[in-house]
Amino acid sequence: MTNPITCKDSTWLVSESRERTLSKEELQDLEGHIAECPYCKGASTQFAVLFKQLDHYLGNSRAEKDETG
Amino acid sequence: MDTRLRKTIAEEAAEYRPLLYRMALTQLKNAAAAEDATQETLLAAIEKADSFERRSTLRTWLFSILRFKILDVMRDQSKSRRRDSELPAEHAVIDDDNSRTFDTLFDDSGCWIDTKDVWTNPHTVAERDAFFKVLEVCMTRLPARTSRAFLMREWLELDPPEICRELGISQGNLRILLYRARMQLRLCLNLNWQRD
Repeated sequence: MTNPITCKDSTWLVSESRERTLSKEELQDLEGHIAECPYCKGASTQFAVLFKQLDHYLGNSRAEKDETG
Repeated sequence: MDTRLRKTIAEEAAEYRPLLYRMALTQLKNAAAAEDATQETLLAAIEKADSFERRSTLRTWLFSILRFKILDVMRDQSKSRRRDSELPAEHAVIDDDNSRTFDTLFDDSGCWIDTKDVWTNPHTVAERDAFFKVLEVCMTRLPARTSRAFLMREWLELDPPEICRELGISQGNLRILLYRARMQLRLCLNLNWQRD
């Protein structure tokens, strides 16, 4: 059983994941929390949409990868 | 060189001038330098009009030209800074009390209060344009320093250590700024993006 994290903690991890690969434990915490928390599930979808659209808006290298792959 | 194409690009690109200037000013913090970078970007776009592929939008193409101009200026600035061995302009410590910034979004147990809305990626060009418009407005509402750090990361794609050096802030402070920017954008879009 991993340590429970809060919704707020999970937003930190979602933001951090833009800069670095999360550790196995962090990923487990995050995924475990999201699976059980409908609000965080909603929020993480929102962040995913935000990040994807932001990449396309700015035309950065992530957007290029998104288009080719 | 197709002069008609040049003219079309020139006219369409001119509409982006205010946006390009705003993006440049956020990074360069100097009206004259931002104006120069904007002007050079528009001129370069006209010059290279025939290398513009409609595959990318004109906006992203202009952003990529401007991005290189800004990185150039930043490199020159940091070179002359090293020469004069002065500190980066911004090295004031930002308040670390981030814990409370978004507290109203969470209840006492640290659980979300506001996110019931389900977002999906915009499907049509019109939907995407509508999203981008709101995103643009939301970005202008970010505090100057937050916006600068955020766009250094997401647009200029600098590594965190480079951004910290440029802004004279710690890694911890940078993480906070980036976190705030993302939280604020999500919140702003949640409030302002009209879905049907």
